[in-house]
Amino acid sequence: MTRAAPAWRRAAVAPRVALALAWLAVPLVPLLLWAAADRWPFPAVLPTDWGLTGWRQAAGQGAGGALGRSVLLGLAVAALATPAGAMAGRALALHRVPARRLVEALLLAPVAVPPFAVVMGLTTLTLRAGVPGTVALVLVLSVSALPYTVFVMRSAYAGYDVGFEEEARTLGAGPRAVLLRVHLPLAAPALATAAFLAFLVGWSDYVVTLVVGGGQLVTLPMLVGALSSATGNDAVVAAVSLTAVVPPLLLLAATALLARRGAR
Amino acid sequence: MPARGPRRALLLLLPAALPTAAVLGAALTVAVLQSTGLMPVVGEPDPTTATYRALAGDRALLDGLRVSLGVAAASTALALAVGLGMALLARTTRLGGRLLRAAAAATVPVPHLVGAAAVGLLLADSGLAARALGAESFPPLVAGPLWVAVVAEYAWKESAFVALVVLAALAAGERELDETAATLGAGPWQRLRRVALPMAAPAAVAAGGVTFAYVLGSYDVAWLLGRSYPEPLPVLAYRLWTDVDLARREQALAVAVVTTALALACLLVTAALLARTARTARAVR
Repeated sequence: MTRAAPAWRRAAVAPRVALALAWLAVPLVPLLLWAAADRWPFPAVLPTDWGLTGWRQAAGQGAGGALGRSVLLGLAVAALATPAGAMAGRALALHRVPARRLVEALLLAPVAVPPFAVVMGLTTLTLRAGVPGTVALVLVLSVSALPYTVFVMRSAYAGYDVGFEEEARTLGAGPRAVLLRVHLPLAAPALATAAFLAFLVGWSDYVVTLVVGGGQLVTLPMLVGALSSATGNDAVVAAVSLTAVVPPLLLLAATALLARRGAR
Repeated sequence: MPARGPRRALLLLLPAALPTAAVLGAALTVAVLQSTGLMPVVGEPDPTTATYRALAGDRALLDGLRVSLGVAAASTALALAVGLGMALLARTTRLGGRLLRAAAAATVPVPHLVGAAAVGLLLADSGLAARALGAESFPPLVAGPLWVAVVAEYAWKESAFVALVVLAALAAGERELDETAATLGAGPWQRLRRVALPMAAPAAVAAGGVTFAYVLGSYDVAWLLGRSYPEPLPVLAYRLWTDVDLARREQALAVAVVTTALALACLLVTAALLARTARTARAVR
C-alpha cells in the first residue's frame, strides 16, 4: 500500500475480498467433495462414505486414454499456433505492415466466428475432399487459438528491444545464433504464455471435437460430457472433471514461474 | 540490418494469416452456399432462400434467437458487474489483490464443459446448494425456465476473464492518477467515477463484447445445463446437423450463418463503443 487508507476502510475490504474469492472457488467445491465420496445420499450435506470409487470407475471408463488424447490435441494446437502467432505478432509490433487494420481484423476474426459454425462449414468440405477428421480438427482449433497467440506476442514484441539482436549481429553472430541465443531467450516468457493459451484451446474444446469426430475421438471434455449428461455418475464425473482441471493448473503455475524468472 | 519493410512483414504474417483466411473463408463460403442451395448434398445447384424462409417461419429459430440473446445478455451483464467489482477491489489491497488475481487466473484454464458439470453438481435440485440450505423444495435452476445454471456458469468463468483484462488495463498508470486525484482532494467515490471507471472502461467494453459473442456461439454449457426447448442457436444447429434427414444439414448451416452474423454484429458494435470509451480514457490521462 502506497497510500494510507483509513482503518475502517481497510477493515471493510477484507470481507469483500473473501466474498469474491468464494465466488471464484465455490463452483469447484462439489467437484472436490464428489471426487472423494463413495456414498453421498441426498439430504446429507457431506458424503457419508469417503473413498476413491469415482477414480477407479473413471479409469475403467477410459479416462487414462482420454487424458493422453487431450494432451496430444493441446500440444498439437500449441505447436502450430505458437510459432505462427509469434511471427505475426513480431510483424505487427516491429514492422511496417500494409493494410494493418485489415490484417489485424483478419487475425482477430476467429474470436467473432463461433467454432461450431466454422467446423460445420469446414467438415462439409473436408468430408468431400477425403481429408482425415483429425487434420480438420487440429486446423480449426489452431485457427481458433491464433488470435490469442498473435496478440500475446504482439504486446510482448512491442516492449522488446531489437537493439540486442542488432548488437549481436554487429558482434558477428549469424542469423541462427541471433535467433537461438538472443531472440528466443528474450521472448521465452511470452512464448510460454502464448503456448499455454493455445494448449488450452485444444484441451478445453468440446463442440469442434463433437462435430468432427461424431463422438469417435474421446478427449477428456467428451468423456465429461458423456458421463454428466447421464444421471447417477456424480463421483465419476467429479474424478474426470478434476483430471481435466489439474494439468492446466500445473501448467499455469509453471508458466507463471517462468515469466517471473524472465522478468528478473 | 534486418529488412523491416512490408515484404518481410508479409512473410512473417503468412503462417497465421493464410490458415485463418483459408479456414474461415472456406467454412463460411460453404455454409452460405449450402444453405442457399448453391452447393447441394445431391443434385444440381439451385439457388433458393427456402431454407431461410422455412427457418424464419419455424418457432424453433425465433425461440432460439430469443433465448440465445437473453442468456448472452444476462451472462455478460453479470460477468461485467462482478468482474469489474473484483478488479476494482483487487487494486485496493496488496494481499487480497494477489489472492484475487491468482484465483481469477486459476479459473481461466477450467474448460467450460467442466465448469458446467461443476455448476450442475452445485445447483441441481439434489446438488450441494440444495443440501446445504436444507430446503424442502429447491427451485429448478438446472434445466429450469430461467436458465439460471447456464447464466451462472458463464458469469462465473467470464467474470474472472473480465477481472484479469481490466486489471491489466489499470496496471498502466491508474495508481499514480488516483493518488494525484486524492492529493487534489478527490474523495473515494469521485476518484472511482472520474479516474478508475473511465480508465477501466475500454478494457471492460472489449471484454464484454468478446464475452457476449462467445456465449452466443457456445454450445457445451447450454447443452448440459439448459432445457430441451427452446434451444439456443448452437444447440439447435447441432440437433439439425445430426438429424437423419440430410436436408436438415442445410438448415443447420443456415443457423450457423445467422449465429455468425449476430456475433460479428456484436463485435462491430463493441469496436464502435471501444473507440468512444478509449477517447474518454485518453481524456482522463
